[in-house]
Amino acid sequence: MSRFLTYVLLTLVSASGLLAQTQGGTILGRVIDAETGQAVIGANVVIHGTFIGSSTNVRGEYRLVRVPPGSCAIEVSMVGYDRLTVENVVVSAGQQRTLEIKLQPAPVQTGGVVVTASRREQSLQEVPVSIATVTAKVIADRNNVTLDDALRYVPGVNMMADQVNIRGSTGYSRGVGSRVLVLLDGLPYFTGDTGEINWETIPVYDIDRIEVVKGAGSALYGSSALGGVINVITKEIPSSPQLRFRFFSGLYDKARYSDWEWSSKARFNSGAMASYSNRSGSLGYLFSVSRTVDDSYRQNDAYHRWAFYSKLRYDLSAYRSLTIAVNYLDRTHGNFFWWKSLREATRPADSQLNGKVTSRRGSVGFSYKEFMSDKFYYTVKGIYFGNFWRDDSSGRVNNVSASHLFNVDLQATYNYSASNILTFGAAANYDRVNANLFGTHPGVGAAIYAQDELGIFPQTKLTAGVRFDWQKVSILPSTSQLNPKLGLVYTPDKETSIRASFGSGFRYPAIGELYIESSTNVSQVAILPNIDLQVEKSISYEVGASRSFGELVFLDVALFRNEFKNLIEPSVEIKTYRPYPSSPTEISGPVIQFENVTRARIEGMESNLKIEWWRTHLSTGIGYTYTWPKDLTENTILKFRPRHLFYASAFSTFGHLRASADFRFVSRIERIDENLIRLAPIVDGDQRVPIKVLDLRASYDLLGLGLPLRVGFHVNNVTDYQYVELVGNLAPGRTFVLSLDGSF
Amino acid sequence: MKLLLVLPTAFLIASCEPGLTPPPEVQPGFGGTIYFENGTWPPPDSLLNLWLFASQLYPLDSAKVFTGLFSNPPLIFLYPATDKNLPFFVDSVSYAFNLPPGSYKYVGILQRYANEFSVRSLRVVGVYGTASDPPLPIPVIVSESQFISGIDIKVNFHKPPPQPF
Repeated sequence: MSRFLTYVLLTLVSASGLLAQTQGGTILGRVIDAETGQAVIGANVVIHGTFIGSSTNVRGEYRLVRVPPGSCAIEVSMVGYDRLTVENVVVSAGQQRTLEIKLQPAPVQTGGVVVTASRREQSLQEVPVSIATVTAKVIADRNNVTLDDALRYVPGVNMMADQVNIRGSTGYSRGVGSRVLVLLDGLPYFTGDTGEINWETIPVYDIDRIEVVKGAGSALYGSSALGGVINVITKEIPSSPQLRFRFFSGLYDKARYSDWEWSSKARFNSGAMASYSNRSGSLGYLFSVSRTVDDSYRQNDAYHRWAFYSKLRYDLSAYRSLTIAVNYLDRTHGNFFWWKSLREATRPADSQLNGKVTSRRGSVGFSYKEFMSDKFYYTVKGIYFGNFWRDDSSGRVNNVSASHLFNVDLQATYNYSASNILTFGAAANYDRVNANLFGTHPGVGAAIYAQDELGIFPQTKLTAGVRFDWQKVSILPSTSQLNPKLGLVYTPDKETSIRASFGSGFRYPAIGELYIESSTNVSQVAILPNIDLQVEKSISYEVGASRSFGELVFLDVALFRNEFKNLIEPSVEIKTYRPYPSSPTEISGPVIQFENVTRARIEGMESNLKIEWWRTHLSTGIGYTYTWPKDLTENTILKFRPRHLFYASAFSTFGHLRASADFRFVSRIERIDENLIRLAPIVDGDQRVPIKVLDLRASYDLLGLGLPLRVGFHVNNVTDYQYVELVGNLAPGRTFVLSLDGSF
Repeated sequence: MKLLLVLPTAFLIASCEPGLTPPPEVQPGFGGTIYFENGTWPPPDSLLNLWLFASQLYPLDSAKVFTGLFSNPPLIFLYPATDKNLPFFVDSVSYAFNLPPGSYKYVGILQRYANEFSVRSLRVVGVYGTASDPPLPIPVIVSESQFISGIDIKVNFHKPPPQPF
């Protein structure tokens, strides 16, 4: 397979005329805030219809090189500002032209540009579905070390430890078979064996923004997009050299109760990250490395992690570009699966006391993009994700897994006219798993998709799309899916947008769910395979509206309804089974098996209110999501779903001082799996409370002292509130963190 | 503007509760209610003893019953005690069975109906199990400092579950 990848890359490079250079002009300058005159950092500056682009550095500077001679349009976008197009910028060959660009601040939600909803850049106002963005600045402010931490405050998103749940789509599966599709720069990013999201391997320090699309999205993205899509977009390589680093050191506060003190030592959570990027002619490169060590507040839960990320971009010409990204993580982690009891909530069950998990995970991806004209471009993307892990107990290896997942995607976008944009493409994937838990199995799939965005009236845009997927796993019969989508956006004026959408989603069972088999796992429960699992499906309906009131208030309201069929959940029951395939006798006992257990309907509403109080000095946001997750099979509430999510945040800036606060409320989970608690067994696993967590932080910019540094102090879970997100897993109490960020 | 003061204060107060707290130490065991089917009680002369049993051994045979009862430490426990009985001729009785932590794979009600002291005089008349017919035993896993509630058992003397010996 590596030979094949090499061949593909070489073919692309040679076909594009790697050595061909385009003589052109240079446009450079600064992007500043039109009201304050301050530099806008991280704005995207792109020549329309070309691949020539740059993001602004810490001084707001950009530099566009090899600009084709003649007249061009420059597009500038940044979350929190109105998108700006500067028309008729004329530059001749060899000329260097300076252009200062002033961006008009806008309410946060309306100004941004997103790429996930339609697989192309579009203004948030044009999107027919609910979408939220998390910027690099917010991630840095919160000192999020992994991506799941960054998602905890997105309205409608609920994290159950490292398992993501958008508007009630996901219950308890310990991450296996995620119903939210995570993309890394537009490519599926999950493990080949269990179909789970590996948050730690996503290079948080090099993220430009995260886009969260709520509702089924399989019509564009295929399997796993039942509940939504999270697209992680990494930073563009800036035009000038940049060295960034972050050090942080956190201290877990003493356990709130003496019963929970298991160590007399102070427990730290520390890390260092560094990233260097530069451009040399047509080549841009970024290297990033991070080291994090967490002693943890719980016994046998510590981890040590090295992560490496690199991105290379070669501009073959003004219209062609090749990007290669490499990502690697090496981690050793204690195997704390659930607590011993609530009385000993910081100690694992005895069977997990000496276990640890060692994992090596990484990806290699490429993206080739070519503008054939200012109306037509295509992209070829591919990614290999390797996932290798093993767990052992007291030095004895229990489980070993190796999985290899390849995804390739060819996409073309044709701007037939300003009011008609056609996007179409094809995708393929190959998966191979070799594990003692899952056996050795291959999987292969292919898909074609198309979407048209059509301005049917001057202020009304219709989006229609469809995707056909085919998949075959091991020796099982192949299956195919057809998923349509429809969206409508009406924008009567610049401040108002009314939207309606319909979309469908599906998820193939992961190889791990189909074939997992173990008679000795972390608990005393046997795990059995189920090759009869059916594809789970969803249909999402949504109507919503957003409006800006002046420039200081922004409101978005949505009503949604999601129907789920054949939901796959781990079912825990007493069954008669053979302890191993050749066993002559059957025994009865508790068994975990993934099964299509239920049909469900989740209805609800979501509202987001953002207010800027003293212009740039204070911005607040409130998000409330109500869901009624109904199990239609058992005519009761779905297991493991909260009914209410309420998130509030405040960010303020006074000169060089920045302060922020986040409050998170998740209502008590009303129904859990009693069989799981009793049979696993998870002692006191039914103990749970609403989640009410308040985080405070402040940072000071030392630029005033001539140092490009920012020092920060964070207190997470200020009131030391004790809660669980996941049954039998006490969440961290109060934590103090010092951070130092630098950028040169 | 008042909102700017009221909201943060409300959030602070809301999160000032302690949340989860460690429960007081408890004796390990399990408890629940035993329901006796109306009109199925046997005549008094065949009710010599009636116990709740919890066995770490399963499946059982004649040899394992006595081994389990008299080994040190025991692997089969009787409630209320070897020389005591569950009450006779009642509709239901609640119980609290304290016993060492362990995996009790077979929990049920044992009737001694004849004078001789051998397994031939014993029969299981109820089992903590699945709702299927016949029921499969559900293990009760007792951990340290844990008392499990809700281990309810139905007894129908006319329709005993499959016998282990």
